Amino acid sequence: MHKLSNKKRLFIFILLGVAIYFLSGAVDELRVYQGATVAVYVVGIASIILLTGYSGQVSLGQGALLGVGGYAAALLRIQFNAPIWICFAVAILTAALAGAFLGLAAARLSGPYLAGTTLALAVGLPSIANQFELLGGEQGLLFDVGFPPLSFGEDFTQYKWFFWIASLATLIAIFWLQNVMRSRYGRSWKAVRGNDVAAELAGINLTRNKTLAFTLSAGLAGLSGALLAMTIGTVSPSAFPLALSFSLLTGAVIAGVTTLGGVMIGAVTLVAIPDIAGAVASRFGSSEAVTSNLPGLLVSTLLILTVLFVPNGPVEQLHARREHRANK
Amino acid sequence: MIQILNTTLIGLTSGAIYSLMAMSIVLVWRSTRVINFAQAGLALASTYIGYEAVQLFDNYWIALICAMLAGAAISAFIEITFMRILLKHTSSGPIAGVAPIIATLGLLGIIKALITMNWGGQDVVITPPLSNTGFSIGSDTLVFSPMKLAIIVSVALLVIIFSLIFQKTNIGLALRASAYAPEIARLAGVRVDLVRTLGWALSGASGAVAGLLLTSYGTGAFSPESAEFSLLFISGFIAAVVGGLDSLVGAVIGGIFLGLVTAFVLMYISSSLFFIAPFVILLLVLFIRPQGIIGVKAGRRA
Repeated sequence: MHKLSNKKRLFIFILLGVAIYFLSGAVDELRVYQGATVAVYVVGIASIILLTGYSGQVSLGQGALLGVGGYAAALLRIQFNAPIWICFAVAILTAALAGAFLGLAAARLSGPYLAGTTLALAVGLPSIANQFELLGGEQGLLFDVGFPPLSFGEDFTQYKWFFWIASLATLIAIFWLQNVMRSRYGRSWKAVRGNDVAAELAGINLTRNKTLAFTLSAGLAGLSGALLAMTIGTVSPSAFPLALSFSLLTGAVIAGVTTLGGVMIGAVTLVAIPDIAGAVASRFGSSEAVTSNLPGLLVSTLLILTVLFVPNGPVEQLHARREHRANK
Repeated sequence: MIQILNTTLIGLTSGAIYSLMAMSIVLVWRSTRVINFAQAGLALASTYIGYEAVQLFDNYWIALICAMLAGAAISAFIEITFMRILLKHTSSGPIAGVAPIIATLGLLGIIKALITMNWGGQDVVITPPLSNTGFSIGSDTLVFSPMKLAIIVSVALLVIIFSLIFQKTNIGLALRASAYAPEIARLAGVRVDLVRTLGWALSGASGAVAGLLLTSYGTGAFSPESAEFSLLFISGFIAAVVGGLDSLVGAVIGGIFLGLVTAFVLMYISSSLFFIAPFVILLLVLFIRPQGIIGVKAGRRA
């Protein structure tokens, strides 16, 4: 990927878009909906890869930032009936702003402190949303992106519309993120991750770098939150639980937290595991308690196994193996 | 006047429980330099074992001791079978700093899933052994009840036992030495691995008591989804950070401090600040006095 020129990469992304367009016509509704969810997770996981993999900061509160994005989009839609594209843009900006504040604080904290603080935020923030009438309390707010344009034809379903919006937003976001990673900021994040003292001596401003990473990551999280709100149709405190933050982190680790290349693997795993667990449970005729907790068990086990055996993720592992063989 | 007394006593009681959780976090941090994000899950598991013990022996206090032992055993088991391998595997590489955090989160997921599979998602009840109706002074009734008094006394007893272990015994000396300088301790003949396991075991015991007492603070009902247990971890973490994360005395003081401040803020400012008050305390401590209110070493910052 590193040797491709920008034009070629743009071409690949457009090709991907066309492939997704035809794919969405070929599969059934459930798969289309799952496809939209995959897109939501891809953006969310990318936000964590940017933050954790590239700038070495751990946030256990990414779900809260998704919530900020979701609420911003829904509020704008309800209060001003703004076009959905503007809603998404505002969701990104609002979350990025929140991220900038958080990032300023976070840049001063090291690993476990930052993790604990963001965890406290993730636990606390949804319940704060309960307190304000404007945010709709426990019920939350509706977020309705509207019906697909009539020109797409009669049989163009709502889910397909979600899927299109989510895929397009995701492709743009990932393309943009790849560019950022290849810019001087991406390189300086890598330098900081490699050795922060050396990076600082080379003239990299650590605080500014970390804050910038947090801001951009929060922006992505905001987009992911708005997309999530679109697919479920509402925003409420229970839509952005602690479990969401953990899932995204899990997805990022399974995808390989140091590279964007595996981001699809992580997202597909998160969406597929409930299905797989369901199939396994029904095959063995397990009780209801087992069935409903099998996904959690599988995800957590996978998380631990990945950390233990492929800490850099499957894609990086393959790269390393190929290079190893080439050197021989 | 009666309101101030009430608020103080409530703050002390919840603070006592936070102290135990904070101690549990600090013990693990001191022995392996890991924040165990599964600590609340371990406490929950121990509390369920306490629930089973109550069914079996029909005695709360025996159950409390069973839960303690179970908590210690589970924690020690996890340290031996899991943390050692993890820390060896991920001591270097780009995610070395992140791996323990992620791994303990995974552990939390596994523990929670196993608990729910075994005991189901519904509430179970450990009936508090003492009355939860408040003492009365003259015509006034306090919120402070015999059960809450028992909570404070139990915590105080446990803290005294722990400080005796740490200050007066050779085991305590070994624990302190390995936390202070593992290499030197090893050279001096301390079996650091064993001592680490012991640190985890003590942490598990402390967390188990925190979990069981937490249920008795309320109605005694709890489930795997109880928000109280997530909050317990957050409060314990904040209390530990307030106390400097390295000191057991600090953890206890931090817990009491957090309990009192939260109680007074809820009573006199607004009850809607339930989540915000502890969070603000955490941020203030991290930015103004990152070494904690009694800590001396700087090391919090990146």
